[in-house]
Amino acid sequence: MEAKGAGSYLPPSDYPAKRLVVDVERKMQRRTIQNLSLGGFSTPLVFIITILIFWAFSPGHRFLDPRNVAAIAKLTPDLGVVALGIGVLMICGEFDLSIASVLPTCSFIFTQLLMAGVSPFVAFVLLLPIGAVFGLINGLLVVRTGLPSFIITLSTMLFWRGIVYVASGLMPISILPYIPTGSPFAQMLTGQIGPVPVQLLWFLGIALVLGVVLHFGRLGNWIYATGSNQDAARAMGVDVRLVKIVCYMIVGSLCAFAAMMQATRLGSFAATQGIGFELKAIAAVVVGGTSLRGGVGSMVGIALGVFIIQILENGLILLRVPVFGVNTFIGLAVILFVIINNLTNRQLAGQGF
Amino acid sequence: MSATSSANGQELLKMVGIHKYFGRVHALRGVNFSVNRGEVVGLCGDNGAGKSTLIKVASGYHMADAGQIFFEGREVKLRSPKDARALGIETVYQEQALCPHLSIARNIFMGREPTTVLGLLDQSRMNEESMEALASMGLKLRSPHALVSALSGGQRQGVAIARAIHFRAKLVILDEPTIALSVKEVREVLDFVRHLKDQGVAAVFITHTLHHVFSVADRIVVLAHGCNLVDIRTKDTTVDELSDIIARGTLGDAAPTHKPESEAAAAALAQQATCEEDTEAEQEI
Repeated sequence: MEAKGAGSYLPPSDYPAKRLVVDVERKMQRRTIQNLSLGGFSTPLVFIITILIFWAFSPGHRFLDPRNVAAIAKLTPDLGVVALGIGVLMICGEFDLSIASVLPTCSFIFTQLLMAGVSPFVAFVLLLPIGAVFGLINGLLVVRTGLPSFIITLSTMLFWRGIVYVASGLMPISILPYIPTGSPFAQMLTGQIGPVPVQLLWFLGIALVLGVVLHFGRLGNWIYATGSNQDAARAMGVDVRLVKIVCYMIVGSLCAFAAMMQATRLGSFAATQGIGFELKAIAAVVVGGTSLRGGVGSMVGIALGVFIIQILENGLILLRVPVFGVNTFIGLAVILFVIINNLTNRQLAGQGF
Repeated sequence: MSATSSANGQELLKMVGIHKYFGRVHALRGVNFSVNRGEVVGLCGDNGAGKSTLIKVASGYHMADAGQIFFEGREVKLRSPKDARALGIETVYQEQALCPHLSIARNIFMGREPTTVLGLLDQSRMNEESMEALASMGLKLRSPHALVSALSGGQRQGVAIARAIHFRAKLVILDEPTIALSVKEVREVLDFVRHLKDQGVAAVFITHTLHHVFSVADRIVVLAHGCNLVDIRTKDTTVDELSDIIARGTLGDAAPTHKPESEAAAAALAQQATCEEDTEAEQEI
């Protein structure tokens, strides 16, 4: 069905009015093709269906109760902000498991800076490049050793986990004395604008920026190329090593950001922050239509994937699934989504072009 | 070096005494190679003869361990594919030429994307110019948005070559462009090479299949065991003679039995002699 639209290449025209029509037509073609090609087609559908199911089956339709929606909007960005970075990294063909440990490590450093008397705003500005350094270490190890990133970041995950456990003695540290509830810093990261939690705005804002970079920027073009065919990308003059390192640094920075956002929301550092994020982030990104082999994925899909995972968890609990059994259903759902994604993509590929 | 003129200033690329080691393997043993402006040169030889290594040196992928490279008469150092591309040397690799998940336009502009004032990709320009570039190759594809994974092998070669000439390459190196293609696709690719020549772009055509290269090349260079074996105009030789030499890997007895081509064969023999000298010299060091 799309093949027809894609087929009519229209030469430029001299008449301004006609030209406008041609431009609009071309833009629409481009959009359709991109949506199809980037695998972001079935994800919105799954997103809506998930919401409808939970709305229909949660007792008293409690799922769409404003308080529940607000809770989802506040909780999702913790994982979500990191998952956006993981999505970009996976499009470029790499993994990062170490986020589960980099996040609490960043949170610990943040707490230590606050305790040393540093203003939270200054600590915030310092933490973002510190997070990037964690990413830089991962990135350098991956491109220098040539080992699978799964192994490298599994190792760095264990490494930083040990460090943060020993350094903190596993004790939570309250940061309320430095960032009281309702203080400007707390407002900036975890406040509310009208009924909308600021966390959600941060999440959407970061998704928007990364989306523009990914889909409309040169770096984004290189990220897709690196994930699609690394050798070709290199032969065409893309510095694939640099691209990978930059992606790892983006993930690291976003970890630092999520760490501070979560610590501020909890009012404390906890050594257990970020545990399980590494696999949940991958699940969210894959549900969002991203290929594990790289080269395929979209920012809209990734953002929706994050919501789908969070909504599943929340919705299942509302459906009175025992809390400790939720993962079983999430596991089933991930497999189901990926199968649906693959089927629809294959069908579209068969019809198009 | 080459049988064709180097005196008339038409020499585009000239490589002299190129050596390349991979660990203990001496892959290139003082190879000489040249391409004139607008000339199509076939580069042949058995597996492991050093063809790929030689063109990877010419395209900046590998650095030579010894030897000189001249481009348009000036000595150059090729440290990366970027250096080679800046000079106007583009390489099209068969297996790894394009990114399958990306559109034709994005592939053609990969690494050299035009941007708008906002620093974003100038997509309308990319689309328009890629269609023009494809048309100049005689390639009619439906849309610049089509994914490369949807194209046939021959079309992919066309896109890769269009990419090269769009950026005003002076020399296009084609690494096994006809391998694993159907007969019809091979014919397409050979047509692309003729289009290149019509536009005054020089080409190096690496192949195992002499029949393919014979229909488009002006001159054929044969390597064996990292040395020059033959350098001859296509019109001065035959497919049978060359395939015989390639199979044998040496001129040896071939020269006397092929009297008509003795002049060319003698030149090639002289070249082999220089190569052997070089290796001896190398051993002394």
